[in-house]
Amino acid sequence: MPKTYEPDGGQQKPRGGLILLQSLILVLFCLFTLRLWYLQVHKGEHFADLARENQLRQASIIAGRGMILDRNGKTLAVNEPSFALGLIREDCEDIQGTLQKVSEWTGIDYHVLLDTYIRGKKRSKPFEPMVLISNLSYELLAKIEANAVSWPGLEILIRHKRFYPDGKLLAHVMGYVAEANEEELEKDSSLALGDHVGKQGLEFTLEQRLRGEKGLKQIEVDAYGREHDQQVILEPRSGNNLRLSIDADLQAFASKQLEGQAGAIVVLQPDTGKVLALVSQPSYDNNLFVLGIPAKTWKELRDDPMHPIQNRVAQSVYPPGSTFKVLMAACALSEGLVKTTDTAFCSGSYRVGDHDFHCWKKGGHGTVDMRSALVHSCDVYFYQLGEKLGIDRINRYALQAGFGTPTGIDLPHERSGLIPSTAWKKRRYGENWTRGETLNCSIGQGYVQVSPLQLAKFIGSVLNGGKVIRPSLVLDDPVDVQSKLALSDKDREFIVKAMADTVQAGTAQRLKRPDAVLGGKTGTAQVVKLVNADVRQKVHDMPYKYRDHAWLASWGIKDGKSYVVVCMVEHGGHGGETAGPMVKAVYDYLFGPVPGQAKTVKSEPQPQGEIGD
Amino acid sequence: MSPIDRRLLTHIYWPLLAIIAVLFSVGVLNLYSASGFRMGDGVSLNPFYQKQCIWGLVGFFCMISLTLFDYRYLKHLAWPLMIATLVLLALVPVMGKTVYGAKRWLDFGVFSFQPSELAKIATLVVGALILSKDTGRLGWLGLLGVLAVALPPAAMVIVQPDLGSGLNILLLLCGMILYRGLTGRVFKVLLLVVPILVPCGWFFLKPYQKLRILTLFNPERDPLGSGYHIIQSQIAIGSGQMWGKGFLEGTQSQLRFLPEKHTDFAVAVFAEEWGFVGTIALVVLFSLFLYFLAGVSRDAKDRFGSFLAAGVFFYFFWQILINMGMVLGIMPVVGIPLPFISYGGSATIVNFCLIGIVLNVSMRRFVFKKT
Repeated sequence: MPKTYEPDGGQQKPRGGLILLQSLILVLFCLFTLRLWYLQVHKGEHFADLARENQLRQASIIAGRGMILDRNGKTLAVNEPSFALGLIREDCEDIQGTLQKVSEWTGIDYHVLLDTYIRGKKRSKPFEPMVLISNLSYELLAKIEANAVSWPGLEILIRHKRFYPDGKLLAHVMGYVAEANEEELEKDSSLALGDHVGKQGLEFTLEQRLRGEKGLKQIEVDAYGREHDQQVILEPRSGNNLRLSIDADLQAFASKQLEGQAGAIVVLQPDTGKVLALVSQPSYDNNLFVLGIPAKTWKELRDDPMHPIQNRVAQSVYPPGSTFKVLMAACALSEGLVKTTDTAFCSGSYRVGDHDFHCWKKGGHGTVDMRSALVHSCDVYFYQLGEKLGIDRINRYALQAGFGTPTGIDLPHERSGLIPSTAWKKRRYGENWTRGETLNCSIGQGYVQVSPLQLAKFIGSVLNGGKVIRPSLVLDDPVDVQSKLALSDKDREFIVKAMADTVQAGTAQRLKRPDAVLGGKTGTAQVVKLVNADVRQKVHDMPYKYRDHAWLASWGIKDGKSYVVVCMVEHGGHGGETAGPMVKAVYDYLFGPVPGQAKTVKSEPQPQGEIGD
Repeated sequence: MSPIDRRLLTHIYWPLLAIIAVLFSVGVLNLYSASGFRMGDGVSLNPFYQKQCIWGLVGFFCMISLTLFDYRYLKHLAWPLMIATLVLLALVPVMGKTVYGAKRWLDFGVFSFQPSELAKIATLVVGALILSKDTGRLGWLGLLGVLAVALPPAAMVIVQPDLGSGLNILLLLCGMILYRGLTGRVFKVLLLVVPILVPCGWFFLKPYQKLRILTLFNPERDPLGSGYHIIQSQIAIGSGQMWGKGFLEGTQSQLRFLPEKHTDFAVAVFAEEWGFVGTIALVVLFSLFLYFLAGVSRDAKDRFGSFLAAGVFFYFFWQILINMGMVLGIMPVVGIPLPFISYGGSATIVNFCLIGIVLNVSMRRFVFKKT
């Protein structure tokens, strides 16, 4: 279609137009030149450094946590490989989409993952994988591995998981490790999200020795996270292996004695303070905590009326009952207030003001000296002794012997217990101390509270020549003598002898065996104050929570080996009756069966001790 | 339509053609590098450059076809073209293909087609037609008339969402309006009103678009999203330093730290490997290219041709400004490719078509002149 076009004023071009175009070109040119100069020449060195950093990533190499073994080399805590899902956020093109996918695969709530991501983002180094999900099950692992390929940034990490082969048996000693919380991460910059730290028990207190140091590797990667080359810059250093003084077999045996009861048994060497068994019943499986304990399980444990999480050896305190009389005797002798031969008359009760303080033996013990008062656990004798000493002297002596303060064992959250004094009562209640309260304390009742471990430590010091030694769980740690009992050897030997007599003829006769020297002191600690000694009922007729705590503090020597065994059974009733057989069993284990009656231990009629204190 | 005669052939604007050839070659070479050879042990994982060559070939034929008839014939095609564009744009939300979360393509089985590309050409031609009708500066009425034509296609493109192309259409037309010139009153009022209106536009942006603008001022704000692009591209460019790391030696791009390196961020690959010297050379090439376009506009024999060339000038000017500005970290991250350097079928073909129109205008500049 031929068509002619007329010129439409061809020369009438917009006047400013061309100038506009040319100045725009100039602006564009100058703008880019200046910016390029700034980026490439002025800051070029800086960006070149950044580009090098982009290719090189540094990542830490996890260090193995030290293993924990018992004294015979049996493993108590080991590391097992575990798999975690890591996320390298710089490699991840679509964080939200990726998290959504992970949530789909695993069934873990998206918001939980997002929360983990946000927390991890704060703490992870650039290009270092942050742990999204730890301890993947094999099922999840397979699922993720099959899917993760198409989601850049996701990575399966191999890590260590703590495993306690004897979970329940040593939970209170070992404690456990679990993922570091916000606070711990904040405090310790060497920790990364997902790292495990000791939370309880030895794992907590010996954290620094067990943890080791992370290594560092340098990886050359592309932006998809694909490795080209890697090089270890710093070798990781594994944590120290620790050998405990614990004898796992003894521990298991002692635990069995307490099965079904709430209570504590502690076995230690008096000369070294090394703990061979530390039993707290009931117990819990510490492996549960390693993987992050489910809320329901945790609630069950926490609300269990038997308090399985409580370490009854060091974290619980009880009135020591008559076992405290050993300390009273030591105190009186070292103060020089009485001679061992001094006597008192026990009529069955002792009157102070208008109140009768009863002896556990209704008819009274008659005339008693210190030895027979200890052997038969005469309350009236110790009421009078307490009166003579006064609570402040008792307090001073008991503190020196290690009561009223943590023993210093390698476990966290130890309780101090309580040894009262006039000043303490004033401070605590704003009231004056009364004579009656001194009497109560003299037989280990009233305000006095001790932990089984404190008592074991004290009994050990009486036996070992007066050295107050810090109880210790690590076999190779040096013996730590904290102080010395103010007690002459003669007086000390007297007490030891009196304890031996208690086994021979007193309240702890159950322990008797012909081939070893054993000493002991029973105790029955009232949980509720009884109005009248006459209404004392048979143990089994009382409601559980009102029943007395049963104590037995003992030592045994055979073939140059000596042990202290303290047993406490919560609401167990009478010390000799309840704790006695358990302690005897422990000695039988330690010393071997009594010759000639090896196989008939159970059917043999047990020697009956005095029942009552 | 008169057949092409020898005389016209001799008037072909060879310098413009040459500079296009150089730019396109640089683009293909750059894509070759961005295709990731170092990664795949000699086997390209992403043979973008091969496809780009094919697009270039197709574009070249489109360009030649657009020189074969007298450009003034476009006056008759302008409105049908615009109507067709609007119809196709309206079809996109209904039967469009969704790619990367945006519906921009119409799938015709054999080939996919982006109506937004057609919208660019239609707006250019219609704009040139309207603006060239009268002489003198543009008053209120004229301005409103032009905007009434440009706003529907631009708006339809922006909601796809394709902010880049939409902006491109709007800015192209704004450029042409400025080229025509506004009356003093209108200019003064706009000078007052636009700085107020532009911030208002903020409220119409999608959250991710707002983030991109905020990120421009502080890339650390969103280091994983758009900030990541800015940071990584600046590292790539900056680490090129004065002389560059050399062809195929850019660690940022070869190791794939640089995202979108074959499309919107292609020039970062170039800057890393060729350094300040090479990149300035590229800027010079683009400046020359724009200068030639401005020259065509100046020498066109009629106002329509002049406005067509000016429109093409602005079309490329904004793309170069925004794309390089974005890669250099002085403009928000908006998906606008760099002409002849970035990979992309539709864009490449449209670019060549527009050059074809300009060549057409240029080679007929003497037709009614006495020689």
